[in-house]
Amino acid sequence: MSESDQRWGRIRGGFLWFVLPLVIGILASALVPKPVIGVIRLNDAIYSYTARDMITQIQYAMDHPEVRAVVLAFDTPGGTVVDTEAVYMELARLREKKPVVTAVNGMAASGGYYLAANTDHIYVKPTSMIGNIGVIGYLPPAPFIIEDIITTGPYKLWGAPRDSDMRQIEMVKQGFFEAVSLGREGKLKAGPEVIFTGQIWAGIEAVRLGVADEIGTETDAVKKAASLAKVENYEVANLYDLAGLTPITSPFFFQSPDGVKLPYPNEAGTYLLYIPPLPVK
Amino acid sequence: MKRNLLLIAIAALILPAIARGLWFYRGVPETSVFATPDFSALSAPQAPLKSAEKPMDDPVQYEGVALFDAAHANQFSLAEVEALTGAVKARGGQVELLTDYALLEHKLKYASAFVTISPMLSFNAEEIRAIERFVERGGRLLVFTEPTRNSIYFDFVSGNPIAYSDASAANSLLASFGITVNDDYLYNLERNEGNFRNVFFDEFGKSEVTFGLKEVALYGTHSLESPSGLVLLRGAESTLSSANDAHDPAQGGAALSADGNVLAFGDLTFLTSPYNNYADNAVLIDNLAEFALSGSRTVTLDNFPFVFKGKTVRLYLSSELIRSTEAFAALGRMQAALRNMKLQVEFVEELPRDGDAIIVSTFAPGEEMEPLIKKFGLEFEAGSEFVTMPGFGRVGIYGNNILLFDATPNGNRLILFGNKIEDAVYLIDTLNLGYLSFCLSQENIAVCSTGYGSPYQTETSPTPVPEMENTEETPTPEAQG
Repeated sequence: MSESDQRWGRIRGGFLWFVLPLVIGILASALVPKPVIGVIRLNDAIYSYTARDMITQIQYAMDHPEVRAVVLAFDTPGGTVVDTEAVYMELARLREKKPVVTAVNGMAASGGYYLAANTDHIYVKPTSMIGNIGVIGYLPPAPFIIEDIITTGPYKLWGAPRDSDMRQIEMVKQGFFEAVSLGREGKLKAGPEVIFTGQIWAGIEAVRLGVADEIGTETDAVKKAASLAKVENYEVANLYDLAGLTPITSPFFFQSPDGVKLPYPNEAGTYLLYIPPLPVK
Repeated sequence: MKRNLLLIAIAALILPAIARGLWFYRGVPETSVFATPDFSALSAPQAPLKSAEKPMDDPVQYEGVALFDAAHANQFSLAEVEALTGAVKARGGQVELLTDYALLEHKLKYASAFVTISPMLSFNAEEIRAIERFVERGGRLLVFTEPTRNSIYFDFVSGNPIAYSDASAANSLLASFGITVNDDYLYNLERNEGNFRNVFFDEFGKSEVTFGLKEVALYGTHSLESPSGLVLLRGAESTLSSANDAHDPAQGGAALSADGNVLAFGDLTFLTSPYNNYADNAVLIDNLAEFALSGSRTVTLDNFPFVFKGKTVRLYLSSELIRSTEAFAALGRMQAALRNMKLQVEFVEELPRDGDAIIVSTFAPGEEMEPLIKKFGLEFEAGSEFVTMPGFGRVGIYGNNILLFDATPNGNRLILFGNKIEDAVYLIDTLNLGYLSFCLSQENIAVCSTGYGSPYQTETSPTPVPEMENTEETPTPEAQG
């Protein structure tokens, strides 16, 4: 075998045994996904449409291993009880697998805080509004009958006696309080007589009370999520886009005939919702 | 050699993946161990069961009227407080509604209790004085307020809602009796009846109202205080006022005035269904009905014309009185007036010794009237134009009548003295109007001016005729023959 044959043989051997596997390895390494810190934004009340969107995003994060952690970016006054609970339970499943961090922008009140309290870390702005832990409900009227409406029972039209409605609201409160107590276990620096009054606090005070963890930005929240997920050189992605959602909304808040949006829900019911004082006209 | 090459090939194959993996992933993600609520274990708080024995089914019977105020923009309906009105009726009491504030003074003359619930219009000075007199006479005043029944207005400039509670109107009345209703509500986050604003009370001020109670629940209550009186329902230390989020042992859910005749509550909801049956609220409501009807009312002339106890009034004309046509006509009108008050009149020939009676006499009374005259210390001087009366001195007999009220355990007697039968008739007719506004009265004795009495009339003199100048007679034309 000539020297050139030997050289060619070494080159060929090097190509076969090193370069080719390396190229294949490089190509195959693309299968190792770039980690994604998924962001779920909520800039609305929690009600059927927004809850459905959030759940879709949570499920996407669960189903996609590259989504290593999730940041909830909140500006929400809360919303309906059942929709909040639906998101909460999906979030609990996600948290078993992946870290979840909250960044409160404008507000995480009531149902918003229900969700935030059950994440690994809560960042707030100094004047974010946070808390308002509690339930608000509209009791049905005392039952009466109407000539033109036939029902098959005294509460078919009204849903429940006022008294039992009140007691059920108290039961909802118990669930909320327990969720906060468990979610913020060991972190709260004030007793229930302070935490569960329904107060809404500015971010600074919320941190002081242990209702939130730190003053920080959404970027801080992303970094914290990455740190908990133990990833670097990650990508930050909006899970709304990744999940392929398209905007569908319906009016949650009451809108007056002249187009003024009021902070009251459209329908009577039981809510985990912060209803601020009316704005100055 | 081949083994080495294979190892190199494998290394080359996996190294990029490892490098990429290490570039991105630096460890095992931290997932925290956390718990979620056991939702299936949650339960709605149940209504509290009664702890005290409900009073006997056969309660003591009273005859009295509980006058419910509906003249001060009161935020309630009688149907709502059926538990209380029913308890009043079960004790033989009647329930009446005051719909016109102008009738307050009149109706308080016969009422046993005045009940005002969540008033939004303040009481004026005349009403307050009338109620003060009513309470002084032993009438009972019950005031119920309710922090959930506000009048809400919107500030014109800011648009902010402003709630006006009933505390202000209630205080306009209660201030006279040393009780204050605070414009707040009590709450308890630690132990409550289904909601933080539904507060339990298990410490009671000693009173007939709290007799037999172990625990009551108020459903949204103002706090009340009474430095001179008694706080009846005292909350636990964890019961706080919304005004300052603090506990004040001097405040409670109900208060009783120092004289024991004025009772104020910060809540009305406990009177309504179903809350009237929770805890010992039913016992409390029975006690309230008892309180409303059991006052020791002193009947005086202030109560006129509602001064009789029974259903029948005996009418006696003293022996010296002439039974004139005018007298019978006036007495007939009196009978009609008394029938309107559901009283029967029985004409008797002998002075009634007991029972309700109206006795009419002159200032020259018959002998049978002596005991009564002595009882009131009247002195009739024969031939004199004056009667001496305690507290009034010498009272002229012309144009004046005397009215006495003799309240005894066996019945009440109204005694009328006039100078003559004509005076007595005039007095009877005036009394038939139902007012003593023309009388100067002191407790049970009054002098009533009828403005009638001939001795005071000036002697008639001929109508003066103007002096006429002498005038010539109008000449008449002579008849020409």
